[in-house]
Amino acid sequence: MMRYVLGRLGGVVLILLAVCLFTYLIFFKLSPDPAVMICGKTCTPERIDSIRDVLGLNQPLLTQFWDFLSGIFVGRDYGSVHCSAPCLGYSFQTNESVWSMITARLPVSITVAVGAAVLWLLVGVIGGLVSAVKQGTWWDRSAMGLALGGVSVPNYVLALLLQYVLVVKLQLLPFPSAVPFADNPLLWFESYLMPWVVLAVGYACLYARLTRSNVIDTLAENYYRTARAKGLNGALIMRRHALRPALTPITTIFGMDFAGLLGGALITETVFGLNGIGKMAADSIAKNDQPVIMAVTLLAAFFVVIGNVVVDLLYTALDPRVRVVSS
Amino acid sequence: MSDELFVVDNLTVTLPTSRGPVDVVKNVSFTVGRDETVGIVGESGSGKSMTALAVLGLLPRGARTSGSVRLDGAELLGRSDRDLRSVRGNAISMVFQDPLSSLNPYYTVGLQISEMYRTHRGGSRSAARKVAIEALERVHIPDAARRVDHYPHQFSGGMRQRVMIAMALCCSPSLLIADEPTTALDVTVQAQILELLGELQSTTGTGMMFITHDLAVISSIAQRVLVMQSGDPVEYGTAEQVFSAPRHEYTRMLLDAVPRIDDEVLS
Amino acid sequence: MTLLQVRGVTKEFVTRGEGTMARRSTFTAVDDVSFEVELGETLAIVGESGSGKSTTARIAARLLEPTAGTVVFDGQDVTKARGRELATFRNNVQVVFQDPFSSLNPRYTVERIVTAPLTYQGITPKGGRRAFTQELMERVGLNPDHCRRYPAQFSGGQAQRIGIARALAVNPKLVICDEAVSALDVSIQAQVLELLMRLQRESGFSYVFIAHDLAVVRQISQRVAVMNRGRIVEVGTRDQVFGDPQDEYTKTLLAAVPRINPEWDARRRGKEAS
Repeated sequence: MMRYVLGRLGGVVLILLAVCLFTYLIFFKLSPDPAVMICGKTCTPERIDSIRDVLGLNQPLLTQFWDFLSGIFVGRDYGSVHCSAPCLGYSFQTNESVWSMITARLPVSITVAVGAAVLWLLVGVIGGLVSAVKQGTWWDRSAMGLALGGVSVPNYVLALLLQYVLVVKLQLLPFPSAVPFADNPLLWFESYLMPWVVLAVGYACLYARLTRSNVIDTLAENYYRTARAKGLNGALIMRRHALRPALTPITTIFGMDFAGLLGGALITETVFGLNGIGKMAADSIAKNDQPVIMAVTLLAAFFVVIGNVVVDLLYTALDPRVRVVSS
Repeated sequence: MSDELFVVDNLTVTLPTSRGPVDVVKNVSFTVGRDETVGIVGESGSGKSMTALAVLGLLPRGARTSGSVRLDGAELLGRSDRDLRSVRGNAISMVFQDPLSSLNPYYTVGLQISEMYRTHRGGSRSAARKVAIEALERVHIPDAARRVDHYPHQFSGGMRQRVMIAMALCCSPSLLIADEPTTALDVTVQAQILELLGELQSTTGTGMMFITHDLAVISSIAQRVLVMQSGDPVEYGTAEQVFSAPRHEYTRMLLDAVPRIDDEVLS
Repeated sequence: MTLLQVRGVTKEFVTRGEGTMARRSTFTAVDDVSFEVELGETLAIVGESGSGKSTTARIAARLLEPTAGTVVFDGQDVTKARGRELATFRNNVQVVFQDPFSSLNPRYTVERIVTAPLTYQGITPKGGRRAFTQELMERVGLNPDHCRRYPAQFSGGQAQRIGIARALAVNPKLVICDEAVSALDVSIQAQVLELLMRLQRESGFSYVFIAHDLAVVRQISQRVAVMNRGRIVEVGTRDQVFGDPQDEYTKTLLAAVPRINPEWDARRRGKEAS
């Protein structure tokens, strides 16, 4: 077991390194010269040279990459400025430390992701379950029709619609802003409610359909029939012989979806103007702010790769067929 | 009549289909005595499995039944699902064809046996676990005290079917329904399972309803035989009668079709 | 004349084991298996699940490549055959599978299924596809008027007859039947066995008949190879293997076959004869 976990973590390090390298190559080599960008309109060749020197752009590519990497772990110096570890460089736009930009915005993205996840799990799984049990009834038909529609509605359309109706017309909710929970719990909840709902709708619909089909498949399993033939009571049959087998695969998918969101919900955050990782990513791309692009890409990759490992371990724990090698 | 353990009287099962209701079992009658094995034999679509599912009220949604099914004189047909729970696994239990898919892969065999025992008999977890170990020992699973904590996929096909049989017998039912219990097994394993069923029956006195498509298997295990063809009972009698002097053309055709292993005459 | 020679064939599969933590291991499904098939004869390969009989059949049909050993067909080593050589081999060796429905394309008509092997080679049969199909259907005991129907419109036994017709379309020298009658009801099984034997009498090709059912094997084969755990434990004429088995495993296998009470059976036959 320990061996397996260590092996997987080794794999994670390799993947992250590869992601680093590719991102570095793509953004630093294929986009416009950062020195020119930083230099701005009133620029002289001498200034460009000195900027290049400070950023290390005159060094060979591998040295530059090594400086970037080691900066993350031990910090690095830009001319006279010391950037302490973990150093991801400074924004070309604002000169802010990229690491402090991330730490400031990550809580917002996590709040958005967690809230949405709770919402879509509750609605999706319960909805799908009820649909499966009441298969073919009007409830099932309308719920699944709704789910199909919900999957098809783009995030931003829903976001603008909700914002118009709830905030502008009915004035039930404030404009979303990243209010810290400690400041005003009610306002916190109200301002995050719309982003949660918008983000959760698509997933909830997807999960409802998934849960429904998994549960229906399980109800057709021979072991479900065995459970009935054993005379077990309905709740026990449902819990052990229908839900456990039907929901275990959903754990895997959830893990991956959730990990993907921790890297920032780009559209939702942008539409609602929430200062999370997603909005930061969108802004940095629009302005070609390379250190920031690099950092958000790495962060997203980090969450996805770690999420993958966690899901695999979780699945191993949940499914005895994977956990216990047959004797 | 009163000494018969189990009586099926004029059982008809109707299933809804896209082309309207279809009778998949038509006016089937037979009885099973204590200690007795009754074989129900037929090809696919003969309605033999539907007969078994009807007994325990496990038919697909929308199925209708008529006639009478009585265990120790008590009517089972038309009782509610909740009402039948105390019968299922307790007075009548069932063994299915494919032991791997019939056991839940997520739980140990011990839990799957003990959850059934506790449902019908109550008692503590540890007591039920003891019952499960005893049940596994009874079907000759070696090292039962350790195997009780294993999952179905850790057993071979034959051992899995032993687990199913152990589970089916753990509440000492008066009737065991075995639906093609050896069909998915290799021939050497089949012989062992048939021997085990015979042995268990002689010690427990459980009546058995044995469903199969295999006439040779029926011949070696059943005292009475019911032959079914597309829902109709075509012949019913003692095994000796049916095999040595079949009255119905279909039975004769079936018997002729079975390839023999010891036959001197070969075409 | 020796039609097929399988020499020292071994097949290893690399398995990842059943758990995420399992190490890779190799599993030897077929272990140094050799046998020959004469033109016009039926060799049965019989064994229980996991004996390697189906893997052996697949290797003989060149559907799997062996880890070691050679397959010689009609004097030619076809173990590594490619291109034209392989195409010729495929024309001479056809396979009938266990599940007729999953081995017939549900969207094709019988006519298209049966003539597909010819179509791939750009051959138009004499008298046209329709007539060719109808003639084949008649040979395998199907109603030729049904040549425009789809597999789902046939029963299991009929679908298996379509599979047989497809195999015969290219006029093969060897037909490999992989559990070809195992999924069928006993009455249908008897008819299909009868058909297989009649077709062999008419056309003189060979069968490699893979089965787990010893009684079926006894009915159709001239020679029998018994497999256990990847090895052939006994091979001989039908009467040798069934009448005087030498190997312990063969004896166990034969003893385990359920039998209709012989006394009852004899009484019934006596009555019916009189």
